[in-house]
Amino acid sequence: MSPRRASPLSPARATGSRFAATRRSFLALAGSTAAFTALAQIRSPFVLAAPTGDRLRFFDEREAEILTQIMERMVDTGCADAPQVRDIGAVASVDALCASLDPELAGPLPLLIRAFDLGPFLFDFRFSRFTGLSDAEKDESIAGWMTSRIHLRRVAFLALRNLCFFGYYSQDEIWPLIGYAGPLL
Amino acid sequence: MIEKLLERGGDRVESADVCVIGSGGGGAVVAAEIASAGRSVVVLEQGHHWTRADFVQREDQMLPRLFEEAGMRQTVDGGVTVLQGRCVGGSTVHNLCYAFRAPEPIVDMWREEHGLDQLTPRSLEPSYRRVEANLRVKPIREDEVNSLNRLIRAGTEKLGYSGFVTHHNREGCVRAGYCILGCSYDAKQSMLVTYVPRADRAGARIYANARAERIEVEGQRVRRVLGSIVDHSGRSRGSIEVSAPVVVLAAGAVNSPDLLLRSGIANRSGQVGNNLHLHPSVMVVGIWDEPIHAYRGIPQSYYIDQFIDLARDPHSGTVLMPIAGFPVLTAVNLPGFGRRHFEHMRDFAKMGGLIVLLHDRSSGSVRNGSLGRPEIRYALEAGDRRQLAEGLVHGAEILFAAGARRVVVPTQPEPLVLERGDGLSAIPSEIGEGDAPITSTHPQSTCRMGGDPNTSVVNAFGESHEVAGLFITDMSVFPTSLAAPPQITTAALADRTAHHILARWLEFAV
Repeated sequence: MSPRRASPLSPARATGSRFAATRRSFLALAGSTAAFTALAQIRSPFVLAAPTGDRLRFFDEREAEILTQIMERMVDTGCADAPQVRDIGAVASVDALCASLDPELAGPLPLLIRAFDLGPFLFDFRFSRFTGLSDAEKDESIAGWMTSRIHLRRVAFLALRNLCFFGYYSQDEIWPLIGYAGPLL
Repeated sequence: MIEKLLERGGDRVESADVCVIGSGGGGAVVAAEIASAGRSVVVLEQGHHWTRADFVQREDQMLPRLFEEAGMRQTVDGGVTVLQGRCVGGSTVHNLCYAFRAPEPIVDMWREEHGLDQLTPRSLEPSYRRVEANLRVKPIREDEVNSLNRLIRAGTEKLGYSGFVTHHNREGCVRAGYCILGCSYDAKQSMLVTYVPRADRAGARIYANARAERIEVEGQRVRRVLGSIVDHSGRSRGSIEVSAPVVVLAAGAVNSPDLLLRSGIANRSGQVGNNLHLHPSVMVVGIWDEPIHAYRGIPQSYYIDQFIDLARDPHSGTVLMPIAGFPVLTAVNLPGFGRRHFEHMRDFAKMGGLIVLLHDRSSGSVRNGSLGRPEIRYALEAGDRRQLAEGLVHGAEILFAAGARRVVVPTQPEPLVLERGDGLSAIPSEIGEGDAPITSTHPQSTCRMGGDPNTSVVNAFGESHEVAGLFITDMSVFPTSLAAPPQITTAALADRTAHHILARWLEFAV
């Protein structure tokens, strides 16, 4: 059993009852503020070894897909020739990062990603998941988290945002786009 | 002997004359000085032992290797990110090598307001000299000042403000610019390449992946340190026990009080974990018309002290320091997301920043947290919020004077973007937790020294007021915010403590 699956915040348990899971998740998030808010302003993302191929070590396939779609909007460049999230190792890097962390620190992340997917339903009263929205609607949904009056939602936004930036901007393929010459070694 | 215990596994039982907890700016100095005098020393460092071959100049690889809690340590409300080293050499492995002594008005204030009669500039002089020699402290040459620092200097001088090119501790610097990710060339004279090898040569046993978890005391005298062998994510992989008549705690201003509180010792004053100062810092970003590649060269060589007058008021003020980041660090420091965020990232090569660092009156606390981690609380007072905001105004003013065409003030949730010619009145009049990303790289004062055992934890030599043989030598002993980069002062106080222990050795060797 992976460390994440051992967590009481495991999505396998959370999906048993959507309401209970949501309530539990936010109580858990509130209770573990130090760990969760810590992810909000990640300055130093932390992959010790990138995974090989597409094998996921921390997230499951569904969570990885949600994260991919979140990341695509978080790092939208508007440039037709910009490397696409799906074409590079951005999500795999985040996955490897989370797998390397103390389980108590990374444990809430799968639940957060699933909660983010349910955001339009939970907070905007729309019968849709984030992953079912158009790009413009997705941006609106993300902005709702960013500007929410609920502190925890804003913290959650920062956590996901910074994970996405970590995954995307640590990829060599992105650097020419922003004029970063890369390491000298 | 520097041993990575994680690679060997199992349990360890050791004994020594002195057990040092932490191998950073305080611990490494104590270990080297005491081992060089012929005493047996064991150093426990919870981080890994990385060397230049591991420093690959990539954010995704290096930041998690070098930082406490993988760089995610924060105050409980998420308002301040607290960056501390977690590796052999501690924060000196990732710092940017400003090499300052403590400002004299601060030392005077500590002596006068905290009963530290024995703490005088003259008494500190031998320790400063030894440390500066061992760390090869020297002035930064004019030709070593990089593009961003040159621009900032020109802007500062244009406005008639006070600033100067500083001293640093580098030798043979190739000006790659990756200091914050560990020096791939061993040019940075961190503890990793100075005091740690010196302690090693003198016979100290230096154990990486060894986390101290409890200090045991018998009859008000320190006896042993108990801990775990831990992997990179902090999971326990074995145990370690070190018996020693002297224990020197140098785990930093967050972990040191956390350990004392978990051990239930040395806190009759009730001050362990109190009085936390952070030197809270906010960055303001300038964007120039042409690429300046601010991330190349020595990152910080200029220092603006116009907005601090310690002789007039030793308790407040701000200093400004140039700063440049790499892509991930830059991205997370710019608010917003999507295309508007990328509008700034597109100008990465044209970007450079100024850090506004606050000499804070505000204070917080460190307590034992529920997840086995220290719990850090901190709130900015109104006066400090105003000072941070004023600092951002000055930073923006200097960046424009330095030629920036646009200035980005990282207010949350959306940044404030100012174009050349805009007024600065749109910058908020106060900046507090949540208003902008606030970072601390200098937590301090949580085991403060003082003359009165009722209001302080250690005396002027870092010696516990109540537990014989227990010393503290890290930034936690500063009575107040230092108001300057702390590397050299931390090391000098550690040197002073080491020589105090050696001079009085017979008192402890029982």
